[in-house]
Amino acid sequence: MKKYTLIMLAILFAFAHIVSFSGLAYGASPASGIIVVGSKNFTEQMVVGNIAAELLEAQTNLKVEKKLHLGGTNVCFEALKRGSANNGIDIYVEYTGTGLVNILQMEAKTDPQKVYETVKKEFKDRWNLIWLEPWGFNNTYTLAVKEEFAKQNNIETFSDLAKFADQLIFGCTMEFMERPDGYPGFKKAYGFSFKEAKAMDVGLMYAAIDNDLVQVISAFATDGLLVAHNLKILKDDKKFFPPYHAAPLVNGEVLEKYPGIAEALNKLANSITDEDMQKLNYKVDGEGKDPAQVAREFLKERGII
Amino acid sequence: MNILSEYISFMLERQDQILSLTGQHIYLTFTAVFLAILFAVPLGIAITRFEKVAGIVVGIANAVQALPSLALLGFLIPIMGIGSKPSVVMIFLYSLLPIIKNTYTGLTNVDRAILEAGKGMGMTNWQLMRMVQLPLALPVIMTGVRISAVTAVGLTTIAALIGAGGLGQLIYRGISMVNNKMIITGAVPAMVLTLIVDYLLNILERAVTPKGIKKK
Repeated sequence: MKKYTLIMLAILFAFAHIVSFSGLAYGASPASGIIVVGSKNFTEQMVVGNIAAELLEAQTNLKVEKKLHLGGTNVCFEALKRGSANNGIDIYVEYTGTGLVNILQMEAKTDPQKVYETVKKEFKDRWNLIWLEPWGFNNTYTLAVKEEFAKQNNIETFSDLAKFADQLIFGCTMEFMERPDGYPGFKKAYGFSFKEAKAMDVGLMYAAIDNDLVQVISAFATDGLLVAHNLKILKDDKKFFPPYHAAPLVNGEVLEKYPGIAEALNKLANSITDEDMQKLNYKVDGEGKDPAQVAREFLKERGII
Repeated sequence: MNILSEYISFMLERQDQILSLTGQHIYLTFTAVFLAILFAVPLGIAITRFEKVAGIVVGIANAVQALPSLALLGFLIPIMGIGSKPSVVMIFLYSLLPIIKNTYTGLTNVDRAILEAGKGMGMTNWQLMRMVQLPLALPVIMTGVRISAVTAVGLTTIAALIGAGGLGQLIYRGISMVNNKMIITGAVPAMVLTLIVDYLLNILERAVTPKGIKKK
């Protein structure tokens, strides 16, 4: 009896294993002619990742696979260096400021053109990764407070916050807490700090300010959740935050093999404004639409697909 | 009532996605735990023969367990890239400890008198292991497997962060979009899956318990 139970057990395991293997071949590495588009794990990245994927699918004869919502800059960047041939990705949309400060670990600059030229040159030389044309919008860091709080206290700029800062709790992403051009640099540039600073996940930040657990949050200029949660973006009056223009970043070997990628993705060069992007993000965050659907609608509206 | 029906309609809308993500979730968990059993049970048996190595092996497994899962993924990406491979490796590594430990403990805790009796009957070491020790230790080993499998179902959610899919995809996307419906849509199937795995392995555990030591 016992023997049979054991044999049954073994068969069960083997069977389930075979079924799951054959049923889901998604673990296999992609064949030639397939490119993999990645994105980081926040709404805007999901939208632009889907836009890139739709665009490539429509404008080239490549087969596009999506690996969106990867866990952060580091995961995307490491995966891009490998390329899809080595279990990585081929393309994702990166921000010039992130490339400069996080990845290259260089001093932040404020001139957008200089930042773009620097990352373009350095990425090509160091890792053979190619920055295509920026799409236009600048998703820079900013601070946001509740609309009514801003109105009551007449707060428009970062400097206006200074006299309230010692009573306010600041919520920000873990990345912001660490980056030299995030909270540490901000404290130096503006000469004040908050009563307390708490790092948390992007999504949880909004729940925290809704419930008044924090009163100021780090935000992205093009974030759709700002509208959905009645938050006001404050003005960076000392121009501390570097520019974060979004542009597709492509693995050089893949681009050489399929030059059509550049042509397709450059169709959007300089054509999405901050407001455009904020609206697209709001469609996902505020209206609960699927990022893929939002991307498709956008490209159709523009007559690109 | 209204909220509940809203959730249900949201789930129905995404039925296909939930199903395929659940499939991926099961695939990742199953592959990893299956490989862990293949590796950890023989290892657990082997270290009962080499007492000196036992401490080292369990120590290493303990250390792996103590490493935060996201940190482990951080190490694996430069070596293995993203997707299902590194995810399976991560879940595999976390599944080892309970199985190794329980295999070792189960085998070493078999009553000495029974072993002596076996020896007295002229059994070889291998016969003793196969016919006496293993059957008596099997329930304990199965408990280890059960702990591993249940933990693995939960752990697999973070595979979504490196593009391996699974139900974590809905949970993490829901968090970043501040969409509670989406979070629950991912969390509830994951929870149900855990309960099912626990239930099935519990039955199995009882089925493999030898008659002689079964509680009445």
